[in-house]
Amino acid sequence: MSEHLLPPPRDQAIYVNYLPMPVGIHRFLKFAVPAVLWIMCALAFVWARSQYSPGNAVWETGKPVEFMGVLGAAPYPVLFTPAKDGTITAVLLVEQGKFGTQKRAAALSGQLVRVSGWLLHREGRQILELEPEDRALVRITDAAITQAPTLRELGSVTVRGEIVDGKCYLGAMKPGAGKTHKECATLCIRGGIPPIVIAFSADGSTEYLLLQSESGEAIDPALHHLIADPVEIRGVKHQWLGVSGLGVLRVRAADVRRL
Amino acid sequence: MSVGYAAIQWSKPKRRYDLIVGLAIIAYIGTFMLVSKMLWTGASAISDEVLILRALGSCGFILLHIILCIGPLARFDPRWLPVLFNRRHLGVMTFFIALAHGVIAIGYYHGFGTINPLVSLLTSNTEFASVQAFPYQLLGVVALIVLFLLAATSHDFWNKNLSAATWKRLHMSVYGAYVLLVAHVALGALQNDRGLLGPIATVLGVCTVGVLHLLAAWRERNRDLSSPTSSVAGEEWIDVGTPAEIPDDRARTVCAPGGERIAIFKHNGRISAVTNVCAHQGGPLGEGAIIDGCITCPWHGWQYKPQDGCAPPPFQEKVATYRVRISAGRVQVNARALPPGTPTDPVSARSEAANV
Ligand code: HEM
Ligand code: FES
Repeated sequence: MSEHLLPPPRDQAIYVNYLPMPVGIHRFLKFAVPAVLWIMCALAFVWARSQYSPGNAVWETGKPVEFMGVLGAAPYPVLFTPAKDGTITAVLLVEQGKFGTQKRAAALSGQLVRVSGWLLHREGRQILELEPEDRALVRITDAAITQAPTLRELGSVTVRGEIVDGKCYLGAMKPGAGKTHKECATLCIRGGIPPIVIAFSADGSTEYLLLQSESGEAIDPALHHLIADPVEIRGVKHQWLGVSGLGVLRVRAADVRRL
Repeated sequence: MSVGYAAIQWSKPKRRYDLIVGLAIIAYIGTFMLVSKMLWTGASAISDEVLILRALGSCGFILLHIILCIGPLARFDPRWLPVLFNRRHLGVMTFFIALAHGVIAIGYYHGFGTINPLVSLLTSNTEFASVQAFPYQLLGVVALIVLFLLAATSHDFWNKNLSAATWKRLHMSVYGAYVLLVAHVALGALQNDRGLLGPIATVLGVCTVGVLHLLAAWRERNRDLSSPTSSVAGEEWIDVGTPAEIPDDRARTVCAPGGERIAIFKHNGRISAVTNVCAHQGGPLGEGAIIDGCITCPWHGWQYKPQDGCAPPPFQEKVATYRVRISAGRVQVNARALPPGTPTDPVSARSEAANV
C-alpha cells in the first residue's frame, strides 16, 4: 500500500442527498442528531449560568405613585421630599424613554410641587419616571417641607467607580451598567438623564454621587466618552443637608481618568 | 450537476435537515430563557430584552462554530457529510438569528433616545484606541453585513453568476466575520463577566475551529509533499500506485507539482483522472464515488462522467481531465490538466501502455 496517497480508501459509502442514505450513515445520525440537540441544551445552560446578577433594582411599572416636596430643577431635576424617619429623600425626576425632564422642571424650580409617575429604586435610591401628562408635575401651596436643603461643600475627594445613567442603573435596564451598557448610558446621559457615579470603597460599600460640572451645571460633554468605563475621579464632594443616600460630586472633565 | 440534484429544489432531506436545525435553535433558546428565568428572579431578574438578545447572539455564535467545523470534520469522517450538504441553509438561518439579535440590540440600547437609533449606533462610542472601551457593537455590525452578503448570495444562481471561484472567495469571508465576532464577544460581553468561564469557553471555541482546520491542512500537505513524480521527455508523470490500490468506484488523490490535486478513479476495471476540484463549490471529488457511472461529488452530489469530465446531459458543467497510463504495473497520471471536458481514454487496469 503506498502511504503517500490521499485520501486512504474508505469502506464507508458516501452520502448523496438525493439518493437513499447508506446504512452506516443512518446509524450514525440516529445517534448524532439527538446528541447535537442535547449538546445545544447543555451549551445554553452553561452560557445562561455564566451571566451575572444585575443587582437588586426594581421598576414599579404598575400604578403611578405621588410625591410632594420641593423641586430642585438644575442641572438634573430632583424632588426633596420628607421621609418617614424625619430625614429628606432626594427623588430624581426623568421623562419616559431616555430623556431628562429639565424642560418641564425649569418653570417650577424651587417651588412646592406634586409629582406622579413610576418609581425606580435600588438600595434605597429613587428615581421617578414622570407620567407624560401635565398633571404629573404641578405646583401646590402646602407641603411638609418648604425649602430645598442647602448644598454643603465637603471638600476634595478622589473616588473610583463607574459613571452610570441614573435611570437604567436604578432599574430601567438590567443590567444597567458595565461595558455592554456603555452606548445606552451615553445616549441616556446625552438626553438629560442624571449621571451618577457609583463609587466603590475599599470596604465593599458603594456610594451614589450625582455628577455635576465644576460650577454645578450639567456635566461637560467631553466626559461622555468615559461613561460606563472604570474611572478614577477627582472632584469636590457636596451634600444636601439632611439628605442621605445621594451626594453630589462636582468635577472638571480633565479630572476623570479611565483606569 | 446531476439529474437528481437539480430536479429537487427543497428536497425531503433538506426539509428534514432544516427541521433538525430549527429544533436545535428552539432547544437552545428555550433552555437559555428557562435557566435564566429560574436563576435570576424578583428584584435581581435580568431584563427580558437582554435575555433574548443574549440567547440569540450566543445561539448564532455557536451555529457559526458548527458551520466552520463541518468542513474539516467531513474530511476526516464522511459520516458528517449529511451535515455538510445543506450547510448553506444553516448559514442562512444563522444570519436570521444574528439579525434578530442585532435588531433587538439596536432597538433596546439605541432606541427611545434623543437621536436616531442608527446614528446612535454609529456615533455613541468612538473609542477605537481603547481596548477597555472599544466600540464592540460596530464589530458586530460589520460581521452582520458580511453574513448578510453570504446569505444573500448563497443560492446556486449566484454561484453560477459570480463564477465558482469568485463565489468561493466571497464565501471565504465567513472566516473574517468569525474573527470580528470573536472580538465582538471578547471586547463586549466578556468585559462584563466576572468569571473565567466566558473567556475559557471562547478560547475553547476558537481553538476547536483553529485546530480542526490546521489538522485538515496538515494532513493534506503531508501527503502533497510526498507524491513521487518522474519526468520523461519534458512530461511529468505522477505515480498513483498499483491499479489494485484504487478501490472500485472510488478514487485516490495525488498532488501535481503545481499544487493542483488530481483524483484518479477506477470504474468497471478502467482508470481515469479528473481534477479534485468540483465545479460547484470546489468540493473534493476524490472523496466522492462513482454512482450510476458518474463521478459524484461528496458535498452536494454534482456528477461528471469519468471519461470526459462532463456532467451528464442536460447539464453543462465540466471539469478538467488528465491523461492516465500504466507503466511497469503502476498507474501514472500526467501532471498537465487538459481543458475541462476533454475526452480521455480510460485505461484498462490490466493493460500495459507502450511508452508515450
Ligand atoms: C448589528 C449588529 C450587532 C449589534 C448591534 C450587536 C450588539 C450586541 C450587544 C449590545 C451585546 C451585549 C448584550 C448584553 O450582554 O447586554 C452583544 C452581545 C453578543 N453578540 Fe452581538 N451584536 C451584533 C451582531 C452580532 C452578530 C452578527 C453575532 C453573531 C451571531 C453576535 C453575537 C453576539 C454574542 C455571542 C454576544 C454575547 C452574548 C452575551 O452577552 O451573553 N452579535 N451584541
Ligand atoms: S457538488 Fe457542491 S461542491 Fe461538488
